[in-house]
Amino acid sequence: MSDTPSHAPVGSIMPKWVRGPQDFVGGIALMAIAAFALWASSDLQGMHGFSFGAGTVPRMFAGLLLGLGFAITVVGLVTEGPHLATYAWRGPLFVSLSILSFSITIRPLGLVVSAFLTFMVAALGTHETRWRETTIVGIVLTVFCSFLFPYALGLPMQLWPRFLVQ
Amino acid sequence: MPDLFSNLALGFHVVFQFVPWSPAWLGGVTIPIPANILLCLVGALVGTLVGVLPGIGTIATVAMLLPITFGLPPVGALIMLAGIYYGAQYGGSTTSILVNIPGEATSVVTTLDGFQMAKQGRAGPALAIAAIGSFFAGCVSTVLIAVLGAPLTKLALAFGPAEYFSLMVLGLIFAVVLAKGSVLKAIAMIVFGLLLSMVGSDIETGASRMAFNIPELADGLGFATVAMGVFGFAEIIRNLDAGAEMDRDLVQQKITGLMPTRKDMIDSAPAIVRGTILGSILGILPGGGAVIASFAAYTFEKKIAKDPSRFGRGAIEGVAAPESANNAAAQTSFIPLLTLGIPPNAVMALMVGAMTIHGIVPGPQVMQKQPELVWGMIASMWVGNLMLIIINLPLVGIWVRLLRVPYRLMFPSIVIFCAIGIYSINNAPVDVILAGAFGLLGYWLIKHDFEPAPLLLGMVLGPLMEENLRRALLISRGDASVFFTRPLSAVLMATAAFLLVLALLPTLRKKRDEVFVESET
Repeated sequence: MSDTPSHAPVGSIMPKWVRGPQDFVGGIALMAIAAFALWASSDLQGMHGFSFGAGTVPRMFAGLLLGLGFAITVVGLVTEGPHLATYAWRGPLFVSLSILSFSITIRPLGLVVSAFLTFMVAALGTHETRWRETTIVGIVLTVFCSFLFPYALGLPMQLWPRFLVQ
Repeated sequence: MPDLFSNLALGFHVVFQFVPWSPAWLGGVTIPIPANILLCLVGALVGTLVGVLPGIGTIATVAMLLPITFGLPPVGALIMLAGIYYGAQYGGSTTSILVNIPGEATSVVTTLDGFQMAKQGRAGPALAIAAIGSFFAGCVSTVLIAVLGAPLTKLALAFGPAEYFSLMVLGLIFAVVLAKGSVLKAIAMIVFGLLLSMVGSDIETGASRMAFNIPELADGLGFATVAMGVFGFAEIIRNLDAGAEMDRDLVQQKITGLMPTRKDMIDSAPAIVRGTILGSILGILPGGGAVIASFAAYTFEKKIAKDPSRFGRGAIEGVAAPESANNAAAQTSFIPLLTLGIPPNAVMALMVGAMTIHGIVPGPQVMQKQPELVWGMIASMWVGNLMLIIINLPLVGIWVRLLRVPYRLMFPSIVIFCAIGIYSINNAPVDVILAGAFGLLGYWLIKHDFEPAPLLLGMVLGPLMEENLRRALLISRGDASVFFTRPLSAVLMATAAFLLVLALLPTLRKKRDEVFVESET
């Protein structure tokens, strides 16, 4: 995995006149979010008389965020600041994939299959995983969850795949 | 005063209550069990566990356990969740002292002197002082909640919408002042949180706002979902960046002589008292909480010490003060929640979630209409603290052994528990995906040095703020000056403005940064 470099990475994509790339990019992203919110709430009713409509407060906050994002961007432009941190790809990718696989499989395949699958996919998130050990822990944890959630806690949850139950 | 005693008596009665329990597998036999005591114990145990294990925080745990509390009676549910919060403060100190790994952000400063003491073979006294300090702080703050609860509730009844709005503005400004790093970025995070809270249907007209016809968004973004993403998943992804193999050189020597010497006690007693006072104050303030309390207490001790160079080399005050402060703050942060219905930090916001699940709207009326709930919870804190001191000191070996579980096995387990936890809140797979998306957002925020805590606070206070703002302006017929002409509201607004100016002044900013620098050296 990668360490966060304290110096400028070679071949940085940021032009030289941006002195604090971390804040610069962060501010622009916030402005984008605010602009998106302004657009998304544009169909809502505004003020009528002195009473607020559904869209008044969301637009107010979005406008405020736009301003703050702009200020942060300017700060990033004119003051010396940290460079963009490097992102690792392995952790985020496999943790996201495992979350995704859980949400796709939990309904049709049930807790047992879904929990074990999620565990194994998440374990791909680091290269230090030892497969024999991980498989054993995954099985133990799946059994534990299968008792804890549906039985001990009484949460309505399907254990086995739908096509097997029927 | 007699009120106080009768209230506390009611509380203890609730805690020690026996309820009939007839599980199906006993075939209709009913046995009385002290359910609330047991739930308190479970909370304290889980809290200690979470506190000991780095890589999983209080916020994620409380969010994870929310669905579990569905089936419990409201008092029991809140007692358990509260136990997790203050239990984590105890557990965090154990690993800080023994292995130099803070299990919880609140015990980061404890590593400075605690681990040094352990290296000098004085791990026993360090652990004992941390526990004694925490227990003392727990007792004092329990009494404080009981004393302040009733008068603050009366004050709260004098609050109109304008005052509520101003108070929340003040709370958010406090969060900014006490947050780490740039003031501008902290404010931006709060506003971002406020904006996120707008998703869903409008309270007055019922119009769908920014929901894009996605049915799962019609009721708004779930607070637990966002909290789990930003604090649970993002934390895991971030930890994986550094590589799963964490540095865990355990202190292998036996812990001998748990009892501190007479000199230790004399040295640490004033530090415990100062830590408790400072922690209690910072806990009550909205936006404060246990993390800032422990940092502030440590810095304060170092400032007033005759020989500051002792700090960082195993000064017992450096363990006593922050550990008392974080426990005091963890408990006093219940005060604004119970009296005003305003959550001062993210964990308290989740408590609001737990209350809403059971149909309780937090606020001054809770104390009047459901006294057994409030006082039961307060009394349970004292009982829980007593349990924790018993759990922690003799069983310290077990907790440390838990640290040998490598992170490469721990993180997939946390992912599963988080996923199942979110799924079971609404039985909605989409919620899990949303949490994952917020995990990635949280990771991005961390990379850009944005603090996620103010975002959550903004998200919680958003709907309350909007409601009170609209109501206040409706009553005043659109006249915005109402916030500055009503005396109570004007005072709150002026305080907020004053604080914001202070936070922007360069001298204070330097001071504030100093407090946090302690953790990095």
